[in-house]
Amino acid sequence: MSTAETPINDRFAAEAAASRPRHSGVVSAILATGTKSSGATAGAAPTRALPAEPVLLTPAASGTGRPRRRNHHAEGLEAGKRSTRILLWIVLAAAMVLYGFPFLYLLFTSFKTPIDTIAVPPTILPKEWTLENYANALGRNGVLASFINSVQTAVISTVLSLALAIPAAYGITRYKTPSGRVFIMAALVTRMVPPVAIGIPLASMMASAGLADTPIALSIAHTTISLPLSIWLMSSFFEAVPNDLEEAATVDGCSRLGALWRVVIPVVSGGIAVTAIFAFLASWNEFLFALLMTAIRSQTTPVVIANFQTQFGLDWGSMTALAAVYSIPVILLTLLLQRKIVAGMTLGAVKG
Amino acid sequence: MRISDRRFALYLMAPAALFLAVFVAYPLFRLVADSLFKISPIAGGPRDFVGLDNYVRAFASEAFVGAGWRTLAYTFVVVALEFALGLGMALLFTALGRKSEVWRTVFLYPLMIAPIVAGLLWKFLMIDNFGLIGTLLHQAGILQNPNQIGWLSDPGIVLFSVAVPDIWLTTSFMCLVLFAGLQNIPGDLIEAARLDGAKAPTLLFSIILPLLRPVIAVALVVRGIDAARAFDTILIQTNGGPQSASETMSLLIYRTMIRFGDPGLASAMGTIYLLAMLGVAFFAVATIWRPGKDN
Repeated sequence: MSTAETPINDRFAAEAAASRPRHSGVVSAILATGTKSSGATAGAAPTRALPAEPVLLTPAASGTGRPRRRNHHAEGLEAGKRSTRILLWIVLAAAMVLYGFPFLYLLFTSFKTPIDTIAVPPTILPKEWTLENYANALGRNGVLASFINSVQTAVISTVLSLALAIPAAYGITRYKTPSGRVFIMAALVTRMVPPVAIGIPLASMMASAGLADTPIALSIAHTTISLPLSIWLMSSFFEAVPNDLEEAATVDGCSRLGALWRVVIPVVSGGIAVTAIFAFLASWNEFLFALLMTAIRSQTTPVVIANFQTQFGLDWGSMTALAAVYSIPVILLTLLLQRKIVAGMTLGAVKG
Repeated sequence: MRISDRRFALYLMAPAALFLAVFVAYPLFRLVADSLFKISPIAGGPRDFVGLDNYVRAFASEAFVGAGWRTLAYTFVVVALEFALGLGMALLFTALGRKSEVWRTVFLYPLMIAPIVAGLLWKFLMIDNFGLIGTLLHQAGILQNPNQIGWLSDPGIVLFSVAVPDIWLTTSFMCLVLFAGLQNIPGDLIEAARLDGAKAPTLLFSIILPLLRPVIAVALVVRGIDAARAFDTILIQTNGGPQSASETMSLLIYRTMIRFGDPGLASAMGTIYLLAMLGVAFFAVATIWRPGKDN
């Protein structure tokens, strides 16, 4: 995995940390990102306590009768002066262009002709827009199969991760037993294990179980990455659910498992969605385990992308096209779902 | 019969615990066990107990020591730059307030990109001859010729070049975490300091950064661990070259295991690497974070 799973994991871990209301406990100790301050909103996502909308003061309303220039109502660290704000917007625009450019260049390149792709000197925009690179990349043997493998592996790994993490996280947060505390610490340590260290023993275990080169084996390997973080994420979502909720359900005659299934799970469904997306992306983008554990049959797309380089010399055009096809759906999906996820997290923290 | 809550909790945790024991703890145990043997790379080949011989060989090898230093340097560069850029962006977003929300979301996009794709993309930008960066710098008059700097072919700078995709991928994460922390700094505190005449640098270094310390610690530790394990981006850009100048620990272990067929030595290296990571992480948590001593 090396960096494979990290970005998205960390991003959601951060969001979960930011969304968590004030409470103590091991989970918050691990993920604590300054949510201790007492004024913190218990809402979702890093939205700030909003300053009031700018109030337009008319001379009459200002009382003194003297027209007063009123700046944007700023609070705390927000920039107040209009000129400063304009300047900051320009800085932001520049930063966004710089930050977005590499991926846009990848996209532009994928629409060039294969020869223009490696033209010297390179141009930013294609001289002639064509889908040739896409046709070459997708028409190549094994590429479409690798997409199916990627989807399969990621789906199995996501389901497995959730099935294991949801009960575990619930057990940790609701009952706060010493064993639960030890367990979540052990999960934290798991996060430090370099995948290159367990990849080979894991691969040979799978081979002796007769699972060599199957999506199942790879998805189990991916679950070793996503499970610890799923447990932490789900723990922080469960922490936000008030105890009274299940107590009321148990009084009404629900068993503990029934209360979890029928009352608590629906409340944290937003959190489950977040966790599922992160688990899916961790598997979707993973490379090292895929490299070590798959051959022809269950190869995922990242491995195929990497293989383009050695197998076909400098086929940059096809590589950029395949990379674009592989990345764009998940970028769009995550960005589109972003609002839903945030809304889900807010709903997840309802008061009973 | 109703089981006790404690037992019920245990049952809930058992499947996940079992999974981690079988698929993480056991392979780790195998790793440590393998490090004590000289193992033939051929399946079913001889396996001789050699004690700590592999460890002695690891520490005596220049490749291992070199990879250790390179991993440290790489981690430091990545984390330091990400922190500086991430803090800058977080402050910028905070200063712009709510209206920047959409851009905050868009800014997260590299987090969804596979590291292997990011590595490929930057390799394409930095590669000799048809790399765009050299060309643009040449056209801007900064370089005399587009190939003046061999980003990925000059052993002196390659370690920094291969760090670029990693920085590009996860500056967003730093920004996100620091931004979340910034939102929790009470506004009145900043106003009060401003009224006392505090200028921006004082505000940053005497108020904001000290208040953010727990957040910063978490972000640095998490990213430090990940950067120290970097593999995908480096493999696809240089495969550790030229002349091993970008060979970090993950790559060395991988190559020792797969290419040079010495699983025993690779396992010893992996064990040392794992212990070092645990040690550094605990040290960092204890010193920077200092849980419990803040309040």
